[in-house]
Amino acid sequence: MTEQNETIDLLRNSAAGFAKFDGKRIRGWRANAPGFDRAHWRQMAEQGWLSILVPEAEGGLGLGVEAASAVAGELGRACAPEPFVMAGILAPALLAQATNTALKAELLPAVLAGETVVSLAWQPATGGLSPDATEITAKRQAGQIILSGEARFVSPAQADGYMVLAREQGGLLLAWVPADSLGDSLVEEAGPDGIPSGRLRLSDLRLPETAVLMSGNRVAEAVQTALDQALIVQSAELCGLMQRSLDMTLDYLKTRQQFGVAIGSFQALQHRSVDLFIQQELARHATAAAIQKAEAGASGAALSQAASSAKARAAEAGMLIGTQAIQLHGAIGFTDEYDLGLYVNRTMRLAASLGNAAEHRRRFDDLSEGA
Amino acid sequence: MSFHYGVTQERDWNALSDTEFRQILRAEFEAHYPAELRYAPRRLRWHENKDWYLRMAEKGWIAPNWPVEYGGMGLSAAKLLIFQEEVERWGIGRYQDHGTLMLGPVLLRWGTEEQRRQYLPDVLACKAIWCQGYSEPGSGSDLASLKTKAVREGDEFVITGQKIWTTLAQDATHMFVLVRTDFEAKKQEGISFLLVDLAQKGVTVRPIRDMAGHEEFCEVFLDEVRTPVSNLVGELNKGWTVAKSLLGFERIHVGSPKMPEYGLTVLEKLARARGLWADPVFREKYGALKLDVAHLSDAYNHFTGIVVRGEALGQDISWLKVWATETFQRIADLVVDTAGPFAAINGELEIAGTRIDVLASFYKARPPTIYGGSNEIQRNILAQQVLGLPRK
Repeated sequence: MTEQNETIDLLRNSAAGFAKFDGKRIRGWRANAPGFDRAHWRQMAEQGWLSILVPEAEGGLGLGVEAASAVAGELGRACAPEPFVMAGILAPALLAQATNTALKAELLPAVLAGETVVSLAWQPATGGLSPDATEITAKRQAGQIILSGEARFVSPAQADGYMVLAREQGGLLLAWVPADSLGDSLVEEAGPDGIPSGRLRLSDLRLPETAVLMSGNRVAEAVQTALDQALIVQSAELCGLMQRSLDMTLDYLKTRQQFGVAIGSFQALQHRSVDLFIQQELARHATAAAIQKAEAGASGAALSQAASSAKARAAEAGMLIGTQAIQLHGAIGFTDEYDLGLYVNRTMRLAASLGNAAEHRRRFDDLSEGA
Repeated sequence: MSFHYGVTQERDWNALSDTEFRQILRAEFEAHYPAELRYAPRRLRWHENKDWYLRMAEKGWIAPNWPVEYGGMGLSAAKLLIFQEEVERWGIGRYQDHGTLMLGPVLLRWGTEEQRRQYLPDVLACKAIWCQGYSEPGSGSDLASLKTKAVREGDEFVITGQKIWTTLAQDATHMFVLVRTDFEAKKQEGISFLLVDLAQKGVTVRPIRDMAGHEEFCEVFLDEVRTPVSNLVGELNKGWTVAKSLLGFERIHVGSPKMPEYGLTVLEKLARARGLWADPVFREKYGALKLDVAHLSDAYNHFTGIVVRGEALGQDISWLKVWATETFQRIADLVVDTAGPFAAINGELEIAGTRIDVLASFYKARPPTIYGGSNEIQRNILAQQVLGLPRK
């Protein structure tokens, strides 16, 4: 336990040291594919961050969401554009569970080294949160699989390959689709933070059957677990973003003078600041509680419920703090030149991706009804 | 210390495991607390719950927060939290418990040995019931502006003034009171903390009927009321410091998720009875409140962890009171909305075979955002002392 705490502190400190806010860098990558820095990504990999949830037997660190969240919180504070949750946590955690050992042996080391960036493609246009929601179909024919259908919100859009979750006769399968096999079937949609999302439209895409990473009744559970872990880590990143947004706002209220006094001396603004602080604290404690449950071995519906609890609060609090931060700054807060906008845009992406506050409140309620 | 406070503990409670301790409390509460008094919709009067508290006194359980040598249970912070959790879980109504909750800790910290020997045994035996004389008609949030004066005459203080919002003063035999003893000094520096026997000429207690129709607080008029100078607690003119030191453990108590959790069960019962349980508009609101309570509970566990580890609570504990009390209010407001026309019926009523008191939570949810430092005052404290925003 103590040893694990030390490892987590070490990770947090190295993340805090590495992930410094750099507005020029963030603004620079917004206009440049893939929307983030691949060299930076490899450095993150070198620190072991992409390996956190991967078991030691698979070449990973074998740590849990607590360690991943410690890193994500620092990345959030720095507003880093790199897709840590989606490509650094979700994808490796899922890939590590693949039963196609030959393909896994080929892909996983490159993913953990930051050389290969992988995205999961599964969400339909309805934005369904469960693995079952996929609208991509798979047929097996003469040693091939044939994939058809649409997945939205593929993040990051520009990856080296995609894990496509598809429905076949009798269950789900997870297929490896290299980027160069896609042709023009992936269309990019701009993200508020400058990182595009992908819209994947497959029409009879044929791949060798060896591209199946896993199939059968284990797929849904593996994807669900990886998604729930990712949601908790994403909540931690949102906490980092909102903490920095609120800190910037409080600094502004203490220094901005109007009517001859610091505007932070006005009671209306003081009370509103306190309400934002309360939301920040609730998000922090909700996320910490979800982490604790995950670390204590929660699985299945219990893990989903913990993840929804954290994400519902983190998304709601993040958006509230972000939008109120703009208001409390006044016009300067709405400019692109001022850094706050970068935080709000990033918050907006993370709040909406993998289910927003309302969806997770509903999922939390549904899951407790069943319990 | 040779003086005996009249209570002996049957065992060292702190030596028990948390589970064993919980089981002992549950066994006692479940077997002996009168069922009809559970989750009372209002504060109970002394004639209603006297039997229960005399039983607690007899068992030596009346002062769980006091040290064993002074007749308390001597509970550690962790065990004390369990005690409070179990009391709330079983819906046990409070009596006017300021004697054990506040007077005891004050005398242990600031009182003389003579004061402790004179007053604590009667508190332990429930022979003396104490109330708190702080607020005045002109001094609510600005408590330090209080005007009730005490003038020294020989070996006595002569007290004249008016206290208000004094909880259950009609059941009290004594009052600890903040009075002004120096009219020249800065307002916080001219206040003293006195102990007063209410059974004397010049004391008039007038219950105030609240909007729920209950009489839970009072006006207390003091007209040349006398108390010996030996009843001064702490130094003369240092009463503000004495009163402020009472903030601490009870700040976490008011942030407990138990009341809002209970409110959610009332809401569920009502929604089912009204056929709204599956209604998506209701569920959207209910789901949000359920998470508000879940996250209150997550935060509460964090703060109790600090207490249990024996560390000091910071000023930021104030937000827990704000969130707990306002969450309870939002739940109570949704109870009223969900009740529809039944919110025009006061007291326990019947809906589709379910017995429920719709307005009880509504009324119960109003005072907590006002007392113990109103939520607006808490926000001032948080803004200035936690967030570091400038004073006006």
